[in-house]
Amino acid sequence: MSGLNVAYDSLIGFAYSGTNGGMVVYVADDPGVTTGMCEQDSRGFAIMSDMVMLEPATVQECYDYTKFAFELSEAIGAPVFLRGVTNVSQSHALLEYEERLLPVEKEPILKKDIAKYTKAGSAICTAQHKALISSFAEAEKIIRVKGLNELKLGKKGGIGIIAAGVSKQYLTEALVLANREGAAIAEENISTLKLAATLPFPVQELQAILQNCSVVIVAEELEPHLEREVYHLAYKLGMDTKIIGKMDGTYSRLGEYNAGIIAQGLFAATGKAVPAVLKGGITAGMELAAARPITTCSGCPHRGTYMAINAAIKHLGYKKDEIMVTGDIGCTILGMNPPFHTLWTEVSMGASIPIAQGYIQAGVTKPVLATIGDSTFFHAGIPGLINAIQQNVDLTVVILDNGWTAMTGMQVNPGTLQDYQKDPCQQVDLVKVVQGLGVEQLWLTDPYDLAATTKIMQEAIDTKGVKVVIARRECAIQATRRKVDYGKVQVIQEKCTNCKVCVNITGCPALVLAENSVYIDDSQCNGCGLCAQVCKFNAIQKEAK
Amino acid sequence: MKTYDIYIVGVGGQGVLTIGDLISEAAVKANIPISFFPTKGMSQRGGLVKAQLRLCSGDVGPSMPEQSADLVVAMELSEALKALPYLGKNTEYLLYGNVWLPTAAMLGKAKYPAKEKVCAAIEKAGAKLYYVEPKALPFYEGKPVRDNLFVLGAIMANTGLQKLLSAEAIAEIIAQKWPKAKAANLTAFNGGLNYGVL
Repeated sequence: MSGLNVAYDSLIGFAYSGTNGGMVVYVADDPGVTTGMCEQDSRGFAIMSDMVMLEPATVQECYDYTKFAFELSEAIGAPVFLRGVTNVSQSHALLEYEERLLPVEKEPILKKDIAKYTKAGSAICTAQHKALISSFAEAEKIIRVKGLNELKLGKKGGIGIIAAGVSKQYLTEALVLANREGAAIAEENISTLKLAATLPFPVQELQAILQNCSVVIVAEELEPHLEREVYHLAYKLGMDTKIIGKMDGTYSRLGEYNAGIIAQGLFAATGKAVPAVLKGGITAGMELAAARPITTCSGCPHRGTYMAINAAIKHLGYKKDEIMVTGDIGCTILGMNPPFHTLWTEVSMGASIPIAQGYIQAGVTKPVLATIGDSTFFHAGIPGLINAIQQNVDLTVVILDNGWTAMTGMQVNPGTLQDYQKDPCQQVDLVKVVQGLGVEQLWLTDPYDLAATTKIMQEAIDTKGVKVVIARRECAIQATRRKVDYGKVQVIQEKCTNCKVCVNITGCPALVLAENSVYIDDSQCNGCGLCAQVCKFNAIQKEAK
Repeated sequence: MKTYDIYIVGVGGQGVLTIGDLISEAAVKANIPISFFPTKGMSQRGGLVKAQLRLCSGDVGPSMPEQSADLVVAMELSEALKALPYLGKNTEYLLYGNVWLPTAAMLGKAKYPAKEKVCAAIEKAGAKLYYVEPKALPFYEGKPVRDNLFVLGAIMANTGLQKLLSAEAIAEIIAQKWPKAKAANLTAFNGGLNYGVL
């Protein structure tokens, strides 16, 4: 979803212009938030841009609908959404698949159509909007012919269930559960509408189920987009059908659903009280679980940068909580967590620098720092930095350059070493980029050298104008994969006073407390030596390399 | 329709997903329909990892209802509490009492639950508890073996999963999957099979 958020500006333009070939936009939402992003419902984007939204519920449907999405996109000449949710997208199951069809090699189509692919002009924009509305209507017909949405009408006056995406996968199980717990619902009294394509709204099917049932349940995770449409249709049809969903308080807008949750709607439909066994699980005792904040890996160079920023703030005589340090997307945001607690904000790709500038221009007189990773800087940090240079604010920007796009699985970015750039890609020199923008106050430092990095941070914070510190050291995971050897770090047991300062300041997972001293877990330690640099008793020693 | 639902929790790096993979592969080989939903999240950085496996799944979704797991497996003492909502009166709970202290708990700045309290919470929720002692982890050539495979052995020896899958089939998959580490891994798995929790 966050990927779509950053692409959304362009997406609207694509939707309004339409496309020549098939274009499918895959987006995965995260009800229940397992990955630490906004718990948003991207169907709202589809409504905004009049785009088709397909919602596969199983691994097989993910495969089947991807193919159909391309066919549909080609047929209507507009992009089509395919939306997963975490539990569908990450699931493993057996799959029936066809032989892979690769595009027949063709010359690229070079089609000049100014009225379709530009926007500056009222007549052009109005025509594009009209075409979009008509392609959206066309999609509804194609989806109906394809039979993606499955309507089964039971006895008139019974219970209707409309379920979208993964929720439709829980209906059978929910009915079994509800009846096991005494709901006493006869199967012939149930009408179901299982939706794989939620947008355009399947108006005919929704009307049919509304007209057939005395009560209708709407089961969809996150936002009540469908449910609102059902209310709207009921009003238009002049019906006062009872509608069960989020807006009557039965279901939640938070979290993912399961059969037990869906079954609560069945009880609401019968007017019976929901039995305790379906009201979520036992939580007594969960509060005892230890908090487990995610931290930087052992050997992570960002650890050195955050230690240096914290030390510099202290050495300059400031309190930690009066110096604002903004954060950005990626591994670098882990500076928000203990023991660093350095970062104050995380918004979107590249936002760290403009947010910091905004605070300065709003009148914050104490130093403000912005932190950003190398790939995020290349992707979206540069415009913000240009703005800060133009406005000549007193801002310290720290680029944490580990050479990889680490958080998302170690992709190559423009700054990654040339050896890893696939032909014909070439490495872009980060230092030259920053210099080229006109930054005169630029420092390059190695975050494994704490004293030097701290000194540079102090100097930068104390200097006027836009300052950039590039803290450069390769991602520890990747360096280990490349068998980079930083040497062995050991605790001299006789010297260790067990003061735990090393653990407190670095929070490194390779440091383990024994009974009377600290020791280093060799299986985790990469030899970065940051812990040795904070030990006042010389009890941690790094062998010379 | 009756699924056999398994919920596994642990910390990133403990091999939770490998246990899920092995059970899934064994189920596929036994022609048992399976849905395996691992949640990796921030696992690489030492966060919570959980997995849901639904065996004999026909028309079911990836997430199981609360209070209805047939089997819960925890690879870490504190994380064991995260599975409490899935416990019902027919749940078997295999708890591997490994303690993986978060830094703050290590420093005594944050609480970490006592074993007795974790076990009491699990039993209070109505589950049948099998406690597996980490000290029982076997050694191979002087080094402790992979504890996830040891735990999988203990699962196969003690829980209802043995009615669906055979330990022999899992041992065979382990041997084929990591041919170089076959001896060490089978020492781990067989150690679990022979470990008498009850």
